[in-house]
Amino acid sequence: MNQPLAGFAPAPVTARMDTHGDHMLKVAMQTGQDLFARVGSMIAYEGFIQYEPNPPAVRQIARDWITGEGAPLMKCSGDGLLYLADYGANVVVINLNGDGISVNATNLLAFDAHLTWGVERVKGLAKFAGQGLWNTRISGQGWVALTSRGKPIVVDCGGGEDETYVDPDALVAWSPNLKVKGKRSFKAQSLIGRGSGEAYQMAFSGQGIVVVQPSEDSTDRLRFRG
Amino acid sequence: MAREFQRGHKARISDLTAGTDLYVGVQISGPGLTFDISCFGLDADERLSDDRYFVFFNQPKSPEESIQLLGAQAGDTESFRITLDRIPPQIQKLSFTATLDGAGQMSQIAPGYIRIVAGGEEVARYSFNGSEFSTERAVMLGDFYLKDVWRFAAVGQGFDGGLEALLKNFGGEVMEEETPAAPAPQQPQTGAAPGFAPPAFAAPATPAPAPAPAPQPAQGFAPPPGSTPPPPAPAPAPDVHAAPTIVAPMSPPGVAPVPPPAPAPAPYGQPPQQQPYGQPPGQTAPPPPGYGQPPAPQTPAPPPGYGQPTQPPGYGQQPPFGQIPGQQAYGVPQGAPQGGAGVGAALQKFKETPTGQRWTSQNSKLIRVDLGVGGQPVLARQGSMVLYQGKVDFAYKGAGIMGRVVGGATGQEMQLMRCTGQGQVFLAESSTHLHPVELQGDAICVSAENVLAFDESLQYEVRRIEGHGIPGGALFTMQFQGTGTLVVKTHGTPVVLPVTPTTFADANAVVAWSAAAQVIVSSQVRMRRNAYPGDTGESVNLQFRGAPGNFIVVQPYEV
Repeated sequence: MNQPLAGFAPAPVTARMDTHGDHMLKVAMQTGQDLFARVGSMIAYEGFIQYEPNPPAVRQIARDWITGEGAPLMKCSGDGLLYLADYGANVVVINLNGDGISVNATNLLAFDAHLTWGVERVKGLAKFAGQGLWNTRISGQGWVALTSRGKPIVVDCGGGEDETYVDPDALVAWSPNLKVKGKRSFKAQSLIGRGSGEAYQMAFSGQGIVVVQPSEDSTDRLRFRG
Repeated sequence: MAREFQRGHKARISDLTAGTDLYVGVQISGPGLTFDISCFGLDADERLSDDRYFVFFNQPKSPEESIQLLGAQAGDTESFRITLDRIPPQIQKLSFTATLDGAGQMSQIAPGYIRIVAGGEEVARYSFNGSEFSTERAVMLGDFYLKDVWRFAAVGQGFDGGLEALLKNFGGEVMEEETPAAPAPQQPQTGAAPGFAPPAFAAPATPAPAPAPAPQPAQGFAPPPGSTPPPPAPAPAPDVHAAPTIVAPMSPPGVAPVPPPAPAPAPYGQPPQQQPYGQPPGQTAPPPPGYGQPPAPQTPAPPPGYGQPTQPPGYGQQPPFGQIPGQQAYGVPQGAPQGGAGVGAALQKFKETPTGQRWTSQNSKLIRVDLGVGGQPVLARQGSMVLYQGKVDFAYKGAGIMGRVVGGATGQEMQLMRCTGQGQVFLAESSTHLHPVELQGDAICVSAENVLAFDESLQYEVRRIEGHGIPGGALFTMQFQGTGTLVVKTHGTPVVLPVTPTTFADANAVVAWSAAAQVIVSSQVRMRRNAYPGDTGESVNLQFRGAPGNFIVVQPYEV
């Protein structure tokens, strides 16, 4: 009866984090190896896993996040297999081996709790009062999973003086050592009489990579605070 | 997944595959018919000026062996090995032809195809059958031709006169010594061919008859696996995947430049090309530093430091589903991960694909345009830029007549921006699939909301298709014409249908159709309205009519 479905059974565990298909993250959980995951991203689990929304540790670090209350992370602990997904977005698994990565808050799916992380506000983007782009900088030895609407593309900034400009709505992650600033690219004359199209970009310069998704979801990117 | 060609379709070979060492297979058969399949190497005037480049059963290869006849294999009636970068410059076109030996005519043939296989994977296929022909006795099935770069065209045109007419077409002179040769192989040529064919690859003694610049882009030459006997079973896809000869069919970045009819993501059960993210990118050899995953198969030991649960009963006991053993030592040449060990290695497969072309598909949903190549501006839908590098200027482009017409009538104005300067712009929108369409003087009609970007050199005009029941009162299409590239977006993987007398499409789902294969506007669009609105829920259909060779593109999404 379910032979065609049998092909979707999980593959044996080979690593802490793995993907099942393109859109699902599989995490092997063990006591003492806690995980921070996006609230509501759990789709299934096997074993004994407990969830603690809005844990104190997150509250401490992320007190600036959005409104300062209710960080969108939950702490998962226990033993078993945990499956996470985010509304069908592509999942990208990264093993940070001492590296760091700066991830847009909406594109963060899960990461090891023992990693060093912090929430920061992207400089230069607070042009309007109360608005800003928030991202999470993560570094250390461990695993991170990101989501991307569509298969992402990784662009090397190259380190030349040429800057790389990214639409903030399509930005997923970048190397934390890149220099970031905001840029308006449309000339004043072209703004007359119409709404803004690509009015605002983020400019990256330096050595590193930028990850971009092929979609411009404008959900919760530039969000209001307070 | 192979790209399906219709008669008249053309494509750059570099868009189909990164490889230049190609296998071309022809399958053609018919009850009681015998075929001679040959390849003509033609000069710039489409003449067979050097008859050493007439590759057929009596002359199985060209002097420098860039064109070789391999014989029947893998379900193909005849097969060739074409090494594009060794073809001498005076040869500008390769024409693959089939001629009837003995009585008969082409309308009697059974369904057949010509296909291109690179690295063990079929990348293009032009299928034909007897209904496309009538009394022809010789047909040109497909061409490789050099126009800046090598391209492939599905031709499917024939001559009533057989091989002689074909030679006359190419050479202007009937080579008398050839004509007697044609009827010569009374025995099915499949018997004759293997005489020289097998050594081409079956015996390892003959490889690399030349300095062999070993087509470096990950794709080696590999005929489609399959047995040499000629049963017309078209090598089933699973065989291709299971074959050990397969090489990761993508250039190192790991993002295959997917041609327009973008294949859906490979089913999970299929191991090879698009490796699941979590797996090391295809090598068992030195894993890039920092890529902490155990090289899957042999080491069940979890990586140190993450002390995996000792596989509590219930986890991981499932039999492996083939992914893990599927990793051969491909040795994909990926240099030291840039951008830092861990992150760089993990994201290696999403790297941008560098090519020197103006339009490059980065993956099925992202496209890059290099404004420096060609030096002309690009018009793109506003808001579609996701990233750019270099000095690029974006300006509001007044939509002009089109904007006023479309905007005025539908209320949704299509706004464009003009990108000028030097640099690369990455375009994407809402995770839609993007398909670059290269126009070479021909014309295509695209529904206005499915246009993402196009070269400014293309001329366009708005056509309005009126009909009761269409939301907004009319369907607006843009007809593009000229030379340049147009990027069409579709929600989901589209289907390309040939236009037959009974081709219908939902007005909301149709994306594009060929204005004509040869610049003649021959597609007629007719509105149909069912007797009772709401009767079927599909009250508005478009019917397409046109000469054979026309096509329509439909997306699995109704606006």
